[in-house]
Amino acid sequence: MRQFLSVIAFMLIVIGSFSAYSNLGIPQIEPAPPPTEEVIDLGSMDMGQFLALGDRIFNGKGTCTLCHNSLGRAPMLDQIGSNAQARLDDARYAGSATDIEGYLRESLTDPSAYVVAGFGKAGTNDTESPMPGTESGSIALSGPELAAVLAFLQDNGGLEVTVEIPTDMGDEATDENAAEPGEPRAPFTSFQDLSDEFACEACHTIGEEAGDLGPNLSAIGATRDRDYIRRALLDPNAEIAEGFEEGMMPDDLGTQLYATELELLIDHLSQLK
Amino acid sequence: MRLPRLLQAALVLVGVYLGFIVVFDYMLEAVIPGSLLTMYMFFVTVGVFMVFTYDEERTRELVAPIKAMVENPIYRGARNTVFIVIPLLVGYGVYSRTLPSFEAPVELRTIHPAPPSTAKIYGERVNLLTLENPFRHYQTDDPEIFAEYVQEGAAVYIENCQYCHGDKLDGKGPYAEGLNPTPLNFQDIGTIAQLQESYLYWRIATGGPGLPKEAAPWISSMPVWQEFLTEEEIWKVILFLYDYTGHAPRSWGEAHDAGGH
Amino acid sequence: MRKTLSFGFLASLVALVVCVLAGTGPALAQEAAGFGPAPVLTAADYPTVAGVNGRLVIWIVAQLHLWFAAFVLAVPIFVFIIEAIGMRTRDKRYDDMAYEFIKVSITAYSITAILGGLLLFSLILFYPHLFGYLSTIFSKSMFYYALLFFGESAVLYLYYYGWHWLQGDLRKWIHLSLGLLLNAIGTTLMLLANAWLTFMMSPAGVDPAGVFNGNEWEAIHNFLWNPINIHRFVANIAYGGSIVGAYAAFKFLTARTSQEKAHYDWMGYNANFIAICALLPLPFAGYYLAAEIYAYSQQMGITLMGGIFAWLFIIQAVLIGALFLSANYYLWCGMGRSDGARRYYWAIKYIAIVLIGAFLVWFTPHTLVLTNSELKSLGGPHHSILGPLGIMPAKNTAVNLMIIFTFLSFLIYRRSNKVATVSWEGMGNTLQVALFTAGILNILFLGIYHGYFTNTVYKVAASIPQVLTTFVVIVVSLVLDSFIYRGARDVGPLHWGRIPDRAQYALFLLAVAFTWLMGLMGYIRSGIRQHWHVVDIMRDNSPNAFTPTLGYAANVVSVAAVIFLTLVIFVFWIAKVSSVKTLPAGYWKE
Repeated sequence: MRQFLSVIAFMLIVIGSFSAYSNLGIPQIEPAPPPTEEVIDLGSMDMGQFLALGDRIFNGKGTCTLCHNSLGRAPMLDQIGSNAQARLDDARYAGSATDIEGYLRESLTDPSAYVVAGFGKAGTNDTESPMPGTESGSIALSGPELAAVLAFLQDNGGLEVTVEIPTDMGDEATDENAAEPGEPRAPFTSFQDLSDEFACEACHTIGEEAGDLGPNLSAIGATRDRDYIRRALLDPNAEIAEGFEEGMMPDDLGTQLYATELELLIDHLSQLK
Repeated sequence: MRLPRLLQAALVLVGVYLGFIVVFDYMLEAVIPGSLLTMYMFFVTVGVFMVFTYDEERTRELVAPIKAMVENPIYRGARNTVFIVIPLLVGYGVYSRTLPSFEAPVELRTIHPAPPSTAKIYGERVNLLTLENPFRHYQTDDPEIFAEYVQEGAAVYIENCQYCHGDKLDGKGPYAEGLNPTPLNFQDIGTIAQLQESYLYWRIATGGPGLPKEAAPWISSMPVWQEFLTEEEIWKVILFLYDYTGHAPRSWGEAHDAGGH
Repeated sequence: MRKTLSFGFLASLVALVVCVLAGTGPALAQEAAGFGPAPVLTAADYPTVAGVNGRLVIWIVAQLHLWFAAFVLAVPIFVFIIEAIGMRTRDKRYDDMAYEFIKVSITAYSITAILGGLLLFSLILFYPHLFGYLSTIFSKSMFYYALLFFGESAVLYLYYYGWHWLQGDLRKWIHLSLGLLLNAIGTTLMLLANAWLTFMMSPAGVDPAGVFNGNEWEAIHNFLWNPINIHRFVANIAYGGSIVGAYAAFKFLTARTSQEKAHYDWMGYNANFIAICALLPLPFAGYYLAAEIYAYSQQMGITLMGGIFAWLFIIQAVLIGALFLSANYYLWCGMGRSDGARRYYWAIKYIAIVLIGAFLVWFTPHTLVLTNSELKSLGGPHHSILGPLGIMPAKNTAVNLMIIFTFLSFLIYRRSNKVATVSWEGMGNTLQVALFTAGILNILFLGIYHGYFTNTVYKVAASIPQVLTTFVVIVVSLVLDSFIYRGARDVGPLHWGRIPDRAQYALFLLAVAFTWLMGLMGYIRSGIRQHWHVVDIMRDNSPNAFTPTLGYAANVVSVAAVIFLTLVIFVFWIAKVSSVKTLPAGYWKE
């Protein structure tokens, strides 16, 4: 029993001393808490604050300095002002950017588009970058955050800052989508939907809906024929009803309506008697 | 006569301990950190224990004096003394370790980090790798003008810098004792002699607050001199620093590994 | 003992049923609907059960399960080897020792199964979504895992209970084959479980949103699977050896007869020998794993080696140093078994000086903890002498020297009871000295020259020739020694049991340090995932997603280690109780 107890005591002392050393013998560093999405108020931000935001992301959430530091794990980024153009002109450059801002954006979102010589993944002959894309995965920067980092990189590299502060929190990606021609909408199949969409009743009185900027159309079919109605829709200023002003009605309905919709409108209106 | 083994062990331990102190603190003039020395000595003690006890006979010899002191009534006086003195020593050790002191808590930081390759000085971003002292070329081109600039630099130094860095540039100015980290000793071969002029320009212009992130917390009390001096004054002070100490700035050829430590 | 048997079966049955219900149930439902992306969780998705901290429960239970599993998987490996040695040498002592080893592990086996079931329940309770997601991907392997457990139990019990039945020529061969089968199943089990955890570190077979492509083999064969497999396989053997060594040490201390003492001394020596053999290549398996982690994700690699975890490697260095020192001490103490050992005593203090010196270099941190006055005196945190000792080339050099000198301890231990009879003994010894000198000089040269005087690129690259040098020295020296001592004369019979009690404590230290070290490294392996369940795919959004400090982790590991050791003592005690008979006089009617 005495042996047993002394063995137990010995083991407890050993474990206790390991614990004690880990707690007292080495500095206790509080690891950074998991990163959270920064609440960015872009509306009230000037360029200085925007750059500071980029700096914060660069050194914090973006985890860029893990590799882009003086230890040679990745290219230093304070020289890009003088390097970026040379890289764009390099024969090995395979990306699609045409200016320096585009190049920087591309190297953030698609790091393998151009790999600085000597920094590629081992065995890939500098065709594949070890850097993760910053829009997805563990870094997952939002559009404005990415823009802030870009602006910071330009400033830090001695370039003129060409990035503009995004105006809304919506991702840049959605802005781009809006600028491109959108999906064609499905045609409307009822008069009421069409009337709601193009706000006819804001000006015209049709049945119970009352507007008084344009003529009352509640019984238009009784006085006008189909050709007149078609012309009034496509070219409203050709003939103005008495007592109303010219130029009130939009004259681009012809380019906004589908043919079926135009016919539907004419059918419906000509039957109002 | 062969020394008793207990004494041998004690002598080895004391010898190693003093060896560390003498070698590091006096011969190499690079003090050994207390925390590390404690761990070193712990493992040296373990090693000594191992070597002195792996054999039954040697172990008996080692503990014989201790055993005799504890068990033999002849040594009662010695035993009682030891049994009183050791707990007191341990108690004193615990007391002095737990006693709150005025020393600031230990912080991990880098005071003299590697310089960035560019810095923002006087509102402009300058490239520290290629930046040169605009007055340096007078040293060969026109020594008279050069001597004049050095004199002007000396005046700026005496007016602003010597309070901390000392009138002999040895880091022992009147206020030096109050500062932590201590002001740099420019006479030392390990300081400005290892650095480019552009590094000095960066450190002087941006001061303690201009230290990069890895050097945080920025408790260096070096002021941000770009807010008090002109660009020319800083360059002239740099001329003076090298001239007075007789050092030469690190040459441009090796520009790439200019690390300031 | 029969109770243990049914207990073990019951436990594995429970584990199986739970696996089938929990693991494959959602999986089948998912398969019909196709695979979805990894769930995005909020703090509300983590249930609180009985007010306990879910992460802490999972942490401790998983760690306990791992310790027992490592032990239970390792013991059959060397039992198999020892049994084979016994069959070859026809020395019954080996067979008895192998039987005693497996007897120790049999209760541990059922505890492993119980802890596995507990871990599963805890995962389902505390991390239902994570478990659900993993089980959709690993549906088949989890199912087969559960089935394999049945096979493992059946073979293990047959192997153990049939030990005395399957004796004699052909029967012994059948028994040995059972041992091989047992190891095959056990290793497969480990490989499957490794795949699940390495998937969490280096996911494969899924797209960036976590949608599984249906190829389960791809998910199993992920980037870090094999590096972890190798590391764990080697470490398990070393660990199993150290635990059995502690068992033998305890039996030695409590032995009453000198015969018993001799037996357990011999057993402890063999267990320690196994542990050391597996310990020597372990640092290299570790380097390989770390290098692969680096290759998989630079970010993960730097999190591992830099930042807060950098200090963990200082603790690790202390523990590994403790392992090396206690192993050497045990060898030195063991030399007393031979009457011829005194011839070599002079060498021990030099070995000790090198070992301690290398160890001090090994654990000198790169960033020193300095008080303000020391900072002031140094003028900064950079120490001109100690700084260079903190970086990798110095560590590599130190660990290679430690390995070579540990081997040297072993070499003189082997020589201590022998007198060479070959005529060229003197020349042979000269060759040995030359070999060691050349090897050590080469290691020092590689470390110092390439580490400090050439380009950074060579700093890491130099470690490979260093390891090769160590390896060559060990192999060549062993071969040379076997020739020198061919037909050698024994000094006298070895006195098994003639070893100080202190040496047994070295075995305890080995076992405890190993246990604790495994816990610590488990923390960092899991910790480098940071706030991710599955790296970059499934984020941990629980309140416990933060990385704890080293001190906190060390305390958890300590608590778990104490629980583990308590259970181990219970296991050993049960093994002892099973052979105790009490004769109750007059209790039963005649």
